[in-house]
Amino acid sequence: IRKKALEKREETIIVDRACRQETLAYEMESHAIGKRPENPTDLVEEGELLLTLNIFYPVIFQKHKDHKPYQTVLVLGSQKLTELRDSISCVSDLQIGGEFSSQPDQAPEHISKDLYKSAFFYFEGIFYNDKRYPECRDLSRTIIEWSESHDRGYGNLQSVKMEDYTFNDLSLKIGFPYLFCHQGNCEHIIIITDIRLIHHDDCLDRKLYPLLIKKHWLCTRKCFVCKMYTARWVTNKDSLAPEDPCFFCDVCFRMLHYDVEGNKLGEFLAYPYVDPGIFN
Amino acid sequence: MSSVPGLQADCEELLGAFQEADTVRFERFAELWRERRFHTIFYGRIRALERNKLTKKTLELAQQYFLPPYAFQIRVGALYLLYGLYSTQLCQPKQKIRIALKDWPEIQRFQQDLIGSQHYDAAYIFRTLRLSRAFHFTAMPKLLNYRTKKKIQENEFKEEFKDPSNRVNSLITNDVLEELMNIHDHYQKMKCVISADKSHPDKALSLIKDEFVVTLKDITLEHQEWQQNRMKLFLNAKETDEISNKKEEGILLESEGSERANALARIKYRSYSAVVEASKSRRHRQVKLESSESGSNYGKSPNRSKKNSRRPQPARRRDSLEVK
Repeated sequence: IRKKALEKREETIIVDRACRQETLAYEMESHAIGKRPENPTDLVEEGELLLTLNIFYPVIFQKHKDHKPYQTVLVLGSQKLTELRDSISCVSDLQIGGEFSSQPDQAPEHISKDLYKSAFFYFEGIFYNDKRYPECRDLSRTIIEWSESHDRGYGNLQSVKMEDYTFNDLSLKIGFPYLFCHQGNCEHIIIITDIRLIHHDDCLDRKLYPLLIKKHWLCTRKCFVCKMYTARWVTNKDSLAPEDPCFFCDVCFRMLHYDVEGNKLGEFLAYPYVDPGIFN
Repeated sequence: MSSVPGLQADCEELLGAFQEADTVRFERFAELWRERRFHTIFYGRIRALERNKLTKKTLELAQQYFLPPYAFQIRVGALYLLYGLYSTQLCQPKQKIRIALKDWPEIQRFQQDLIGSQHYDAAYIFRTLRLSRAFHFTAMPKLLNYRTKKKIQENEFKEEFKDPSNRVNSLITNDVLEELMNIHDHYQKMKCVISADKSHPDKALSLIKDEFVVTLKDITLEHQEWQQNRMKLFLNAKETDEISNKKEEGILLESEGSERANALARIKYRSYSAVVEASKSRRHRQVKLESSESGSNYGKSPNRSKKNSRRPQPARRRDSLEVK
């Protein structure tokens, strides 16, 4: 009887251990608590404000219908908007444009982040444009012109430079969705969840801010062939692939689509692919 | 935010017991706390991340009782509760209590009240919390998070905890009455000045009653007393209802036992002398009297208790009634 009871327990027991995601989440939240800087000039002062921002990913998967994935960032009140912009890591920044089926070895190294540097924030009716580099364009100009052209009831929208403003200068609503747009059409919603005074137990090293607290973990797409490596190429209209679009890792891609001399086999269009889960 | 099941019930039960004890001393609260082994509330989640979340939710719930419109005693109880929860939490480093900026003046006023009415233990506890940096000063009391909820849960706190919302009183406060008094005097003086006889206003100018400010004050006081009496009646009705319901359900033995225990506990802590002679032969009788009177004792005016004291009772009980 005892044996049966033990067997039954073996089958039905549910062990509640922390899974990897949970330990990662906990680590992220608490890794910076209590840190002090080595250089005393980097110390955060006493009356400093600490904002908690949720930055939502622009991906739209079906499984994210109920709650969109987001990352949480802590920002000091005296930090400039440009620092926040630099800390937002979005996969669309790493895209490499262009079709490279004929010359797979020459996929250029420069990524979209370097090519299209313009970005803006939208808080409370004012567009904050990034004008640090000469090639940054004023993306918000189109929107302002559109709103002024017909009387759409949007009030006065202004456009200013991002690098002149810190968070202390802004007037913000908590819980209200604001916008961050870069690459021309990659839009992230930003929501401020909390503003509070800095506390003795917080991380007091100014260089670590904006601090990433929470990040959503996205599943990476694996290569269709080996199912082991992360996909780095995506093909369309591929006569050699079973589905459209199809993902391949570098090795499998070359083995399937090119012969020993490097000639292209079959008809296809190939693009370098950067997986959204690359930041895991 | 999904609430922790049972947490609100536990906190309300503790605060209810504290309210019934009718005192604001910390020793009393500490006894109640230890009786219930309240520190085990944090043992529910052992893993680090969930521990953090649980502690945050607990502190947030307790913090809500700390602010108006709750009654003074409940607020002191909430202060002790926050102190207890903050000190016994298992998280390292400790999770903090979030207080919104708009609530700070209220809390400071509360502290002044405590010091003024010489509840030094409560004031000391507040000061300890401040010194140990237990507070986060935030813009909004609740930390937001984003899930589309199927239904929004309304937190319903017990009505008995709240101070009876006295709209009349909040409109006609002391300040308002003072102002009115001043204006009234000024008005009378003006009338004197412009009328022929410099010491009295003209008959033709007397358009309002002279003592209307005093009458106004009397009326508001009456209203407040009436409201308090009504609350007590309501509470008594509730208590007697509960007791009679329990009896009807047929679990006589248990309820009587616990009633006996409750009644004895109540007698003990209310009277200033020890109840030694709750003799076994009379205990049953005593309890019956106590339970039917428990409602009527509860803070009513002394004439009522004299009427009750006609019933056969040990002398000590009568003392305790009148002292109360």
